[in-house]
Amino acid sequence: MGGTKETKRFRERKEVFATNSGIPVKRVYTPGDISGLNYDRDLGMPGEEPYTRGIYPSMYRGKLWTIRQFSGLDTPEATNERFKYEYENGITGFAIAMDNLSIMGHDPNHPLAEAEVAAGGVSLSNLQDMETIFEGLPIGKISAAVIPLMTTTCPHTAMYFALAEKRGIKLSDVDGTTEGDPVSFAACGPFRDSYPPRHLLRLGVDLVEWCAINVPKWHPVSFTSYNYRETGVNAYQEIAGLIAAALDYIEEELKRKRLAVDDFVPKFTFHLSAHNDFFEEIAKYRAARRLWYRLMKERYGARNPNSLTLRFHVQTAGSTHTYQQPLNNIVRIAYQVLAAALGGAQSIHANSFDEAICTPTEKSVLMAIRTQQIAQLETNIANVIDPLGGSYYIEWLTNEIEEKAREYLQKIEEQGGWFAALESGWLYKERIEAQREHTKKLAGGELNIVGVNCYEMAEEPYEYDVYKTNPKTYEIQRAKFEKLKRERDNDRVQKALSELARVSETDQNVMPAVMESVKAYAGVGEICDVWRKVYGVAEQRML
Amino acid sequence: MERKIKVLMAKPGFDAHNWGATIVSLALRDAGMEVVYIGQQDPEQIVQTAIQEDVDVLGLSLLSSTYMKLIPKITRLLSESGAKDILVVLGGVFPLDDIPKLKEAGVDEVFLPGSKMEHIVDYISKNVKRKASA
Repeated sequence: MGGTKETKRFRERKEVFATNSGIPVKRVYTPGDISGLNYDRDLGMPGEEPYTRGIYPSMYRGKLWTIRQFSGLDTPEATNERFKYEYENGITGFAIAMDNLSIMGHDPNHPLAEAEVAAGGVSLSNLQDMETIFEGLPIGKISAAVIPLMTTTCPHTAMYFALAEKRGIKLSDVDGTTEGDPVSFAACGPFRDSYPPRHLLRLGVDLVEWCAINVPKWHPVSFTSYNYRETGVNAYQEIAGLIAAALDYIEEELKRKRLAVDDFVPKFTFHLSAHNDFFEEIAKYRAARRLWYRLMKERYGARNPNSLTLRFHVQTAGSTHTYQQPLNNIVRIAYQVLAAALGGAQSIHANSFDEAICTPTEKSVLMAIRTQQIAQLETNIANVIDPLGGSYYIEWLTNEIEEKAREYLQKIEEQGGWFAALESGWLYKERIEAQREHTKKLAGGELNIVGVNCYEMAEEPYEYDVYKTNPKTYEIQRAKFEKLKRERDNDRVQKALSELARVSETDQNVMPAVMESVKAYAGVGEICDVWRKVYGVAEQRML
Repeated sequence: MERKIKVLMAKPGFDAHNWGATIVSLALRDAGMEVVYIGQQDPEQIVQTAIQEDVDVLGLSLLSSTYMKLIPKITRLLSESGAKDILVVLGGVFPLDDIPKLKEAGVDEVFLPGSKMEHIVDYISKNVKRKASA
């Protein structure tokens, strides 16, 4: 309709309006933009195929989304205190943030430990640390998410299982999630001291397979496009990568001919980002559900509704938060929580406003929890399911995102799938391209960030506290680990680690040997050293 | 002809947030500098490579609370190796009150999130200490 008298009279601010992902958008959307939409085929009722509108018939009218805050700091004792504080203030799910040393598979006696212990989270080396983190907390009643990288996905999960067993909870009753996911590897990886991607795939799928049989309520992997999105890829690339990685897991398990799709896919979960483009993010969640449903149905003939539904956690995008004028982040986080809820997330982590600067303080975490509670209880958004369904714009954009995600998924598959594209370096090149593009947009003013490239201030206008990690944590954790090594049954540890080395070279599942190692109080570094020896270490990718 | 400014870009320790290091490396290359990017490395490896590669500038990027331990260690190792003429530039997330401490430890300049690429390029071009020896 461009060029009519009306559009000329009502001039617009810009030549082209586009979403964050670069999809051009019109001034207004009308029935003509969604004329091909078929309600039953493309939307359906919540809880019904193709699950575009939500995965459960009652959604938040049945159960509000879980307030699952990702948190961890300093010693396991300090994290235990923080978890108790969060629990008392109404969070409904835990998620353990570990330090870089632990997630890269090292113990507090590593040469870099003095600097790295407690960097980015809690020091979690062994079962004793896990016991301390959850001391006095009702893990049978509130679910936990264990958030390692793929490097340590098996041992860190095994520590939680061993803790549950010690508390008298049967493995068949243990509920929760392991994140340990392959999508993040495109973001920052290959992570230092990790094994090559094909071995990570093997270990990740071993956990999926073992849990399907032994810990049936557990979600053994949460495919996480959050970190991938944080590197600058766009909304449709985010869900294409998410799904590509999950498809590789499915193919790997099917190749083993031990389980069928509906035996293990029902426990897959997903972790997406909530970025700044409000409507695009909502359309993204809806498109992701529909695309996942269609692939599971078309390719795998899945029947279990839990195989067909994309259950997901959302985290507000840290990369959108600014170091400058950090209290502004509270507003960004609230909008992102709103997008996630309108998109039908099962659980949400609201970032703390100070995460662009430091590990969050107690007060900023409280603010994040309250942000979610205000959305849940005061705005009435939880009253009606998928309230934006039927909007000409949202439905049109959902179609666009699904189509573009399918195209990008095909590109990844042309590279041989997610893991092949990781090994060949194709994904890293794509990432660098996205980052270059983003920087260009920022420099050219095509992208506005308040406080960064517009409305900058020479002096910080807000006062806020900065959390500093406890400098004593290293000494405490190192001393505890040395003491543990003196006191544990070291013959049992050695036997368990030798058995782990043996099975790691066969096609047997590694989890029984990992469980035995963990129960013998082997450290995550000792366990990962076995794999570094057997599988080797992936080379870092240079520019 | 003046030789290119040579930069070593590294991420000390285990911190894996590499967007900043990547983007700054690309911007420096676009500005005609030679950039050697080595990813996540120990302080010893970083200093050793800086000397072996005979660089003019050491670019370090950290988005982790490890900075107060790793950065002074690197600057100390540099000065012990007699490489005091290498310009040390640090980028990442640091609370404002720690910046003077980092500079005192031997960092020449600190760039915070949101820094403009042209400012970083400009700073390096103007402050390279070894220009005269080119």
